[in-house]
Amino acid sequence: MTLTQPSTALDAETIARIGELSDEPDWLCNLRQRWWERATQTPPPTGQEEEWRRTSLDALPRDASLLTDAPLLETHLPADAAEAGVILTDLRTAVREHPELVAKHLGVSDGPASHGHFWALAHAAWTGGLFCHVPRGVSVDGTLVARHVIPRSDVAYHPVSLVIAEEGSSVTLLEEIVSPDGGSAGWFGGISDVRAGRDARVRYATLQQLGDAAWRIGAERVVVGPDATVTTLNAEIGSAVTKLGLDVVMDGKGGTSKVLGLLAAGDDQQIDINTVQDLAADHTTSDLLYLSALYDRAHASFYGITNVRHGTRQTSSYQECRNLLLSPQAGAEPIPVLEIEANDILRCGHGATAGAIDPTTLFYAQTRGLSADEAERMIVRGFFEQVVAQISDETIRSRIIDALAVRIGTDSSDEVAA
Amino acid sequence: MTDELVISGLEVSIGSKKILKGLDLTVRQGEVHALMGPNGSGKTSLAYTLMGHPDYTVDAGTVSWRGQDLLGLTPDKRAQMGVFLAFQYPSAIPGVTVASFLRNIYNAIHHPKQPDASGETSIKYTGIPLAKFRKLMEEKMALLRMDPAFATRYVNEGFSGGEKKRLEMLQMAILSPSMAVLDETDSGLDIDALKNVAEGINASLSPDMGVLLITHYQRMLNYVKPQFVHVLLDGRVVMSGGEELSHQLEANGYDWVRDQVGLPAGVGDEASAPEPVAQH
Ligand SMILES: Nc1ncnc2c1ncn2[C@@H]1O[C@H](COP(=O)(O)OP(=O)(O)OP(=O)(O)O)[C@@H](O)[C@H]1O
Ligand SMILES: [Mg+2]
Repeated sequence: MTLTQPSTALDAETIARIGELSDEPDWLCNLRQRWWERATQTPPPTGQEEEWRRTSLDALPRDASLLTDAPLLETHLPADAAEAGVILTDLRTAVREHPELVAKHLGVSDGPASHGHFWALAHAAWTGGLFCHVPRGVSVDGTLVARHVIPRSDVAYHPVSLVIAEEGSSVTLLEEIVSPDGGSAGWFGGISDVRAGRDARVRYATLQQLGDAAWRIGAERVVVGPDATVTTLNAEIGSAVTKLGLDVVMDGKGGTSKVLGLLAAGDDQQIDINTVQDLAADHTTSDLLYLSALYDRAHASFYGITNVRHGTRQTSSYQECRNLLLSPQAGAEPIPVLEIEANDILRCGHGATAGAIDPTTLFYAQTRGLSADEAERMIVRGFFEQVVAQISDETIRSRIIDALAVRIGTDSSDEVAA
Repeated sequence: MTDELVISGLEVSIGSKKILKGLDLTVRQGEVHALMGPNGSGKTSLAYTLMGHPDYTVDAGTVSWRGQDLLGLTPDKRAQMGVFLAFQYPSAIPGVTVASFLRNIYNAIHHPKQPDASGETSIKYTGIPLAKFRKLMEEKMALLRMDPAFATRYVNEGFSGGEKKRLEMLQMAILSPSMAVLDETDSGLDIDALKNVAEGINASLSPDMGVLLITHYQRMLNYVKPQFVHVLLDGRVVMSGGEELSHQLEANGYDWVRDQVGLPAGVGDEASAPEPVAQH
């Protein structure tokens, strides 16, 4: 197999050759084969499933050639963090340099049920990825940054990101995903497996800026241990189609999660997010806030499940999804679902809105000398501030603001919090 | 051409409802005019029309400012020509701090982005230096006795009625317009706040500023002295006079005006318009 040889749909042989090509250890080849079997046993969605009714996979470029020579992940690991034993590296490098750690953590958990096929596929067919490990009790001050740069638009790429924060550790990580605009459609099937141990503090942001022909079929699973606090942020800016399944599992007593999302889409972009806030332990708190600004003919669906498990006590959860429609052709469909199986809950609520900018608000800003466009940009930027203000890490905040600015059209002189 | 706002034969409707039916009014720079009229008589509609609210259709008439037609311009262009409206019900802009909003609007009026030769706005554009702006803002806030903490709050979000009115006055002080329409800026203010805001208005007043003060109450006019008082009824200015007219209105009410100008009682008053017959 040459590096960018067109492969038809993936098969067992291709999976085997990925391992051979990079001379992978047996345990890893076997792991790939096991997950390949899982992928074949877990058929791809048919479109009948509740989570898949809003996104058709008919045009998914299944035949895109597998990117087997992906550039290594670009990483920034603060020096003191490296000294303290924190690992942030490409998954391929991690397999060579930290085989036991990777073997211990890679491919040991199931992802979001709705994305089971793709979760399995990525574990079988990954040709790149991220490995971040923060040892017990280690607290990282600076910001870890990792960047997947996909050199071509027309490839299939299924990187696996593993983020393991051991007991009592603390880390802030930004993962960026970029690929070029134009060209034929590619398939980005990256998944993230994030685990915060007891009492850990994790801030994990992903910034997706794929090219405009990309299909992002992503899955992310976040497990929040006892008394751990996790903030996740998904900023989805690029791609033609984004279909993301995100499970946040409140696995240990006293855990807290903040689940944030920022979506900015235009042209004919389609975004479809399925979230599950799984309140599986006592005294857990999970608050979700997704904001989307939709231009042109862009459409966002949001199907969010809050599941308060049977027998749990004193959980608190909220999910809020707000959509700003900036064109009459833009659309949004927020669907909150509360599955409350417990009797003793502190709070379980939801809110969902979709609408245009209030014309009088726009007029108000215009009467102060701002053009209609400037006024709109300011209002959209202000709309996003509800999430942006919650990003405590300055590196991440400014990267996210810059990425949003490309879609909103703002520049630094329009900064709303100045 | 003298520096004046000339409204002539203005007819305005919203949807199929006619609100202004031939309104004439001239405000020269340096003059303060009070406009009074019952609820629903069209005062806010006039103010919105002057600024170019998209919901209001001008069916006839003209509005000019300093000899230039205003009606063909977008609201921002009108603002850049020095016309300002303090809203009766100011809008909230969540997520945008007062400080950044003020700086943006200051720049929009006083340092508009200049397109360079290629037609693109220069990326080096930054407007007024931050430190200089802060000084200006703090000065004006002190003048209006506003708590500096307002600078970091979001525009009108969760503001009390009186706080919103103060923010309108702060914006006016910062933009220093030459023609200001104040739509019930006195409503909802407590006694001290009214005095305060009036002081702010007076401090912003300059010999070359024209003011159209829309109000229901005499008390504001005790602080900001109008040279002219007009009554809006049935879509027209039906009576004009000096300051004494506001006292007569306070004493006699609008039926007295109707009687004086030969309109039947209740005309031009939304509150007394015939109600549709209830269906249940
Ligand atoms: N968007 C709208 N749709 C329908 N009617 C409207 C709309 N806006 C205003 N009107 C009507 O136009 C008339 C004039 O309203 P306007 O707000 O100009 O009155 P006003 O003189 O400012 O009253 P107030 O003293 O209560 O502020 C009222 O009958 C009002 O109901
Ligand atoms: Mg009014």
